[in-house]
Amino acid sequence: MGLLALGTALAWPDAKKQADLVREWGIMQLLAIWNKAKHKERDALLWGDEVEYLVVVWTQDNKRVLLSLRQADILKALANDKELTSGGGGVPDLQATTGASHESPLPVFHPEFGRFMLEATPGQPWGIEFKELLAVEPDMKLRRAIAKDHMLATEYPITLTTFPRLGCPGVFSDPYYPVSGPRLRSQFVPDEIANPHIRFPTLAANIRSRRGRKVQVNVPVFRDENTPWPWKDPTVDYDLHNWPEDDDVRNGAAPDNFIHMDAMAFGMGSCCLQITFQAKNITEGRQMYDQLSPLGPILLALTAATPIYKGFLADTDVRWNQISKAVDDRTPEELGEKPLEHDRWRIPKSRYASNSTYISTDHRLRPEYLDPNLVIDDDIKAKLVDGGMDERLATHFAHLFIRDPIVIFAEDLTELDLNKTDHFENIQSTNWQHMRFKPPPADNSIGWRVEFRPMEIQITDFENAAFAVFIVLITRAILSFDLNFYIPIAKVDENMEEAHARDAVLQGKFHFRKNLFPARAPRSAGPSGANTPTPSRPATPTGPVEDEYRLMAISEIINGTEYARTFSSSPAPADSDDDDDFPGLIPIVEAYLDSMNIDVATRCELATYLDLIRRRASGELWTAARWIRHFVATHPQYGKDSAVSEEVAHDLVGAVISVGEREQKGCGFKGLGVTGLEKLLGEFRGGC
Amino acid sequence: MTKSIILSTGNIVSGGPSIFRKAGASRSNRELINSLKSNFEAAKEEYATLPVDGANGHTNGNGPAPNHAPLSVWTEQQDDVLYVPRINWDFAGLQEEPSQYDVTVKLFFLTSGSVSPPSAREQHARQALALVLKELRIPKVDLLVVSFPGMSFDGDCEWEADKQNAQQGEDEEEAASWPALERLQKEGLVKNLGIAEFGSEKLARLLKRVEVKPTVDQINIKNCCNVPPPLVKLAKEQGIDLLVHNDSTDVLPKGTLRELLGPEPRGAGVLADGGVCSGLKGDLTPQWVIKYTAVVRDRGVIENKGYFAGAELEEA
Repeated sequence: MGLLALGTALAWPDAKKQADLVREWGIMQLLAIWNKAKHKERDALLWGDEVEYLVVVWTQDNKRVLLSLRQADILKALANDKELTSGGGGVPDLQATTGASHESPLPVFHPEFGRFMLEATPGQPWGIEFKELLAVEPDMKLRRAIAKDHMLATEYPITLTTFPRLGCPGVFSDPYYPVSGPRLRSQFVPDEIANPHIRFPTLAANIRSRRGRKVQVNVPVFRDENTPWPWKDPTVDYDLHNWPEDDDVRNGAAPDNFIHMDAMAFGMGSCCLQITFQAKNITEGRQMYDQLSPLGPILLALTAATPIYKGFLADTDVRWNQISKAVDDRTPEELGEKPLEHDRWRIPKSRYASNSTYISTDHRLRPEYLDPNLVIDDDIKAKLVDGGMDERLATHFAHLFIRDPIVIFAEDLTELDLNKTDHFENIQSTNWQHMRFKPPPADNSIGWRVEFRPMEIQITDFENAAFAVFIVLITRAILSFDLNFYIPIAKVDENMEEAHARDAVLQGKFHFRKNLFPARAPRSAGPSGANTPTPSRPATPTGPVEDEYRLMAISEIINGTEYARTFSSSPAPADSDDDDDFPGLIPIVEAYLDSMNIDVATRCELATYLDLIRRRASGELWTAARWIRHFVATHPQYGKDSAVSEEVAHDLVGAVISVGEREQKGCGFKGLGVTGLEKLLGEFRGGC
Repeated sequence: MTKSIILSTGNIVSGGPSIFRKAGASRSNRELINSLKSNFEAAKEEYATLPVDGANGHTNGNGPAPNHAPLSVWTEQQDDVLYVPRINWDFAGLQEEPSQYDVTVKLFFLTSGSVSPPSAREQHARQALALVLKELRIPKVDLLVVSFPGMSFDGDCEWEADKQNAQQGEDEEEAASWPALERLQKEGLVKNLGIAEFGSEKLARLLKRVEVKPTVDQINIKNCCNVPPPLVKLAKEQGIDLLVHNDSTDVLPKGTLRELLGPEPRGAGVLADGGVCSGLKGDLTPQWVIKYTAVVRDRGVIENKGYFAGAELEEA
């Protein structure tokens, strides 16, 4: 998206003046694409995964692990690698690979918000051939190998969601920069923590400006035996007087028993695993958006990998809310802290939050499922409807467009180009909901797409491939069996909160739809529309919405009631009768696979992925979050006081690096001497 | 006198629970049995309120359940064939052009020995395939997999399973049945042929006797990661894909069928009990089952899946 196209980024007061113009042009661009692409049909299933890495500097001897800020140099090295770029891979933003096409394209690398981050995607999208699903894991391993190859010997790409000591007092990055810079005004991280491209510091600075104070990322601290209580974050400096925002902590920004953070980097510096699907047409895309949405919190809890922030164990297991708070640009008026005077709305959620809309044309979408508190821009909705868009989709975009554009380049405002989507994307891509519904690009060259965004990155590529493939198979089962996962959006929101709790994967209870299956299609439901008299279609059920879902543990959702009853550490309630038995997502995926022609070896590999997910859900294996907690708790240097010292962090990262090296060699994890690893990876990929 | 019965499930792909196997109960034939049951039930209900040609509007009265159509309404007799339930071919077809689909059918021959000469098998194959082509409104299927009776992959160890398999089935019958399938292919009704549950020895023996080689061998083994190495080797040499399946080796046992069609409320009420006067009487033998699956190419979406089954009733 022309990331490196330089321009004059407007500071917030100027950007704010242009917000209406950007929105207006964005809507015109959206209508232009919509009109071009609304009848687009028969696009194949293509999908892609995105893996994000932290780059660390680690040596055995120096007991301190640092974040490497050499992202730009590493990307340059990747872009200059002739072999890589001639294979279609590399860093397109840097090298402008014009029209190169290759048979087996090599992976592609992208900059990310954090200057210590790297993102890698496959050289071309995946198809649905089952053998292609098996290519994902080797490709992910190749990406990691290539990334490592273009780093210093002491640098490693690792897939922890967050760096355990980001923002700790002292030195945590290489090179070191002092904190309290003009852009972030953070007392914990330097401005240089963000990618230096003007887009990123502007994003951070304008979010802070719009908000009127620094972002406030507070995570409850995990209370261990020796944790002082009430706990006061010892790293907060109450005596800093460089910026007006330094008053934030003196005004109560850092409450007791919370780890306090104050910059976008604490959220957007997290790594995740995102999957994007191309739908066959807009209708299928809208269906996938809706049906995957209730699965978001479930997959978030199941991939939990984020128990440490800023050198302390947190009482939550996942990254989501921290990112949400780290980019929350709402003003005090929008937050409801002050009466509305200058702003237009109270807005219940951050720009980064769980979905607020359902958009499908499915007759099973009951109005009761929709968010009654949805804020939309009525004028924008009217424009979209006038432009021919249906009410429901217009509502979705009119909701996204309540936000201001954050980063605006002066050069883009000279003339509206309807053959571009830059203004639309400006708003769209800074709405970070857990799903994203993506129209085709301006040239209409690819189809309608849906992005699934909640999953946390996993330590090994085996796990990342497993979750990516699982989601792909779920989408195929949804479309084949016409599954219905609808529950009210408010319940999905509650589930998102529930997913944060420590060990939510085993202890959490999530609202989930009891019956996923459509009413039996009557004989008349044929495609040919013959005029024989036929019984009418059974009426859409209209019982109370509350009867359609109930609370389930993750294991029951993933493995089914029967399996959960047998294997779960928290058995299903004894009074549940068989009629309420939930089939489980894995058995549904297996039923899908049973109906397909799959060769033996491929099915075996797919079964391995499903097995990993089954065991994570049942508690037979641990999430990364639980393993990391175990690693810290059993480390001889840990004082049972919630603090993750430099040495513990060093050894944790060292363990992760050694696991990664073993995975690259493909020789299993035996003899590594990493505590608890067998509970994380079991006997998979050579075993522990 | 002999009467044919054609059972059908309709499209079961969104049929819900009946298509899911219970944990541990693999190789179950519950998919077929349950979806037949539910299709019968649905037909009885749907035709209950609907006058059908030739049924004289008898919607209520004779049926054992007040909201159920009588047998003559929800089933249909055409010449010697009884369709259970009645099939409305007006609603046949797929949503897109046939070229957009990969259609696989699996034909289970259920009988063996003198009652099942090659000529009978050819007739069954043609009848079964014709029903699928009509149901999906397609000119041909991409893959026809044939399952002969009495074969499986059992045993705790893969070598053992392969060895046992070598003794199963009836080589002569299988080889004698094959030319009929080759003819279907030559006529353009089938693109590729496949077989099910052939271990290395049986496969080697079959290959020696056939003109058109199967392109697929479908196997069902306990742990799909343990394929017998000799089979892997042979399949690789011969360019045969080893595919997984999860079908029962005994997909429609005689007793099960009898119960399925037997007196209500347990059965569908097609067959008469000793004391009841309505319904057919006689000895019922399942002959074949065909399973069909239409998958949208490039999208991995199953649009249509179902079964037909053929049985013969020797009327008493």
